[in-house]
Amino acid sequence: MIRYIFQRLFGMFVVMFLVVTIVFVIVRVTPGDPAAVMLGPDATSQDIADLRTQLGLDRSLGVQYLYYMGQLLRGDLGQSIFLNMPVTSALLDRAEPTFFLTLFSLLIASAIALPIGIYAAYRRGSIFDQAATALAMLAASIPSFWLGLIMMQVFAVRFDLFPVSGYGGPGSTFSERMYHLALPAFALGIVSSALVLRFTRASMLDVLGDDYIRTARAKGLIERRVILKHALKNALIPILTVIGLTAAVLVSGAVVTETVFGLPGIGNLVVSAVLRRDYPVIQGALLVIAALYVLINFAIDMLYLLVDPRVRY
Amino acid sequence: MKMMTALLLGTALTVLPSSLFAQEKGGIVNVATIGEPPTLDPMSSTADLVGIVTQHIFETLYTFDKNWKVTPLLAESLPEISADGKIYTIKLRSGIKFHDNTDMTSEDVVASLHRWEKIASRGKQVAGFITAIEAVDPATVKITLTQPYAPLASLLAFNNSAAIIIPSEKQDDVMKDFIGTGPYMLKERKADQYIQLTRFDGYTSRDGESDGYGGARHQYLDEIRFVPVPDPNTRVEAAVSGQYDYVDSIPVESFDKIKAAAATQPMMLKPFGYPVFVFNTAEGVSKNVAVRKAIRQALSMEDMMAAAFGSPDFFSLDGAIYPEAYSWHTEAGTDGAYNVADPEGAAAALKAAGYNGEPLRILTSRQYEFHYKMAQVAAEYLKLAGFTVDMQVVDWATLTQRRADPKLWDIYITHSPFLPEPALIGSLSTSSPGWWDTPARKAAVDAFTAEVDPDKRVALFADVQKAIYDDVAFMKIGNFNAVAAKSTKLEGVDPAPWPYFWNASIAK
Repeated sequence: MIRYIFQRLFGMFVVMFLVVTIVFVIVRVTPGDPAAVMLGPDATSQDIADLRTQLGLDRSLGVQYLYYMGQLLRGDLGQSIFLNMPVTSALLDRAEPTFFLTLFSLLIASAIALPIGIYAAYRRGSIFDQAATALAMLAASIPSFWLGLIMMQVFAVRFDLFPVSGYGGPGSTFSERMYHLALPAFALGIVSSALVLRFTRASMLDVLGDDYIRTARAKGLIERRVILKHALKNALIPILTVIGLTAAVLVSGAVVTETVFGLPGIGNLVVSAVLRRDYPVIQGALLVIAALYVLINFAIDMLYLLVDPRVRY
Repeated sequence: MKMMTALLLGTALTVLPSSLFAQEKGGIVNVATIGEPPTLDPMSSTADLVGIVTQHIFETLYTFDKNWKVTPLLAESLPEISADGKIYTIKLRSGIKFHDNTDMTSEDVVASLHRWEKIASRGKQVAGFITAIEAVDPATVKITLTQPYAPLASLLAFNNSAAIIIPSEKQDDVMKDFIGTGPYMLKERKADQYIQLTRFDGYTSRDGESDGYGGARHQYLDEIRFVPVPDPNTRVEAAVSGQYDYVDSIPVESFDKIKAAAATQPMMLKPFGYPVFVFNTAEGVSKNVAVRKAIRQALSMEDMMAAAFGSPDFFSLDGAIYPEAYSWHTEAGTDGAYNVADPEGAAAALKAAGYNGEPLRILTSRQYEFHYKMAQVAAEYLKLAGFTVDMQVVDWATLTQRRADPKLWDIYITHSPFLPEPALIGSLSTSSPGWWDTPARKAAVDAFTAEVDPDKRVALFADVQKAIYDDVAFMKIGNFNAVAAKSTKLEGVDPAPWPYFWNASIAK
């Protein structure tokens, strides 16, 4: 077990090293220049060259890479070119909306997907099952930002129930900020629920045909107990996996939804940074997102131990 | 007596402008902008968004009135210019305080102008003409030039790459403290969330009436908050719902939707600016002026503007660099050279120019969708004329980098507001991408920038425009309007290329 954990940690280190290197190279070879963006449309070539020197962008790629790795080893993600603050602070500033948007979206997705998925599997082939499958297909086909725009039209503009965009102004309370997350969380939650629903249904179908379920029923257990205690517990591994991966996707992939709703989250930060070519922010944000993926995967593997006694590392 | 008093009071009430009664002190305006400004130091960037936000925090010696004439702001009056046009003596207003409550003196102005020469694109443009900037006394500054340079006052007045005045002890190249003299001061900036400005109680406004960016600047509002809303659809919905008091840059196709809304109304700045095709005159296929003329001959400006802006309510065809409302307006050079739409004639001209089918690289971006739409129409006309068109659609950051390399493009598409002073037009500079550098340019532009007499300058600008058309340095496509949305409760905001809110108020 300890050996396995060390192996995984070493693997995570290798993955992170590769991510850092690949992101660094891709970001630098992508056309575009932060100095040109910062100085605006009427800046001269000389102004741009001067700012590049000031930012250290005129140095060779190798020198810049070594300098960056040195920074990382000291735990420093660098300084944002545009925001005039450390990348770590920029990421921490944006952690709150992204964290709660992910959390609420997952809760909404799970609240929709788990009961429907379980019941659809239980009533396999019924109209309910077919309707649930069709709805899941539909939800999976809808881009979250499009659903967001529609919800914005209806609930924010027509009925004036929610704000259209933003994350609260100066001095806004926690509940006010959370209120701004309602529409994007529902948009993301509904779309994410499709995948969780399909995995829940499929996983439940797998276990519902197993011998121990027949045994449980033969013992005279009530059906609810058979489904929720015996079947669901054994079906949980793939469901947990997909929920975990959905969480990782939401942290990194709510990019468009955050932009549409003007939420100052990590996804929005990445989009702005890419458009502005804010290299340190792109690198720092992708590093953190990759780390989240790796850690969530690791956490899911550890959770297997809890939900399935047969799993041994 | 009472009746007489009542009569006089009644008469006075009738005569006084209604705005005096409508504007109440207090309130917060939320302004939705197109994004987060790349910096809050307006010296270091030429981006319009930087100017829009920071003009409330920082001030310049001069600014522009509603007729786009230079008018004093921190200066007491317009500069006294010596007979040879080489010495500018600038008297400063007294009692001006910075946001840290220190007094503004000539020492601050000299230090700020030195910083401007050092780090601002427009300041560097002027630096070659300046021999000295000196403090004559605490309220007077003298600028000595190597030769007459008429655009100086306009450059000192512009709000991006701006010659802002900041305290002498806060002149770091990278601005750390955002201390200006403006009517509002920076309270908090949460990047990508909001920029919060609050009223500066130590502000001393100019006397008299407000006049464009000049004149009195009133501080009715307690706060101005700039909120980045980068998605255009979201800006439209936010305007319709009334979430923001002012929403900048609304897509023209949403005009009717905003008009139908109860909480908000559209505001149109007519005209706002012009899309422009800039030619690479240094290298490549468009280096040949005959090819550039053939390109211009082939194109239909009308079709391009229609594709880009839809209804003629939002654009107009105009070959003159400045529209009629501006004193710089002239038709010089435009006759038979604008909106020709003759691809067959262009094909013959192209053949005569020795064109051999080399790709014509049009560099454009979808960040501004109207650029892309115009490029698509242009490409079809150019294909009809026999060009091999290579459309290079990139994001704006890539475009701004690639355009700096003459090997990479033949035409790039951009746009500009109508700048108050023609010398501010980037393409007139030989170092600007396009690299227009001909004897005709030098003769026309040098004469224009050296002349200090305003009337003569207007006449000389006609020569500049003629040189632009003769050399086909760049190609103006037409005039387009800008649409913004304003809450029905927001008062005192006029359409402007760089909207400002110091005279704004909220009706209760």
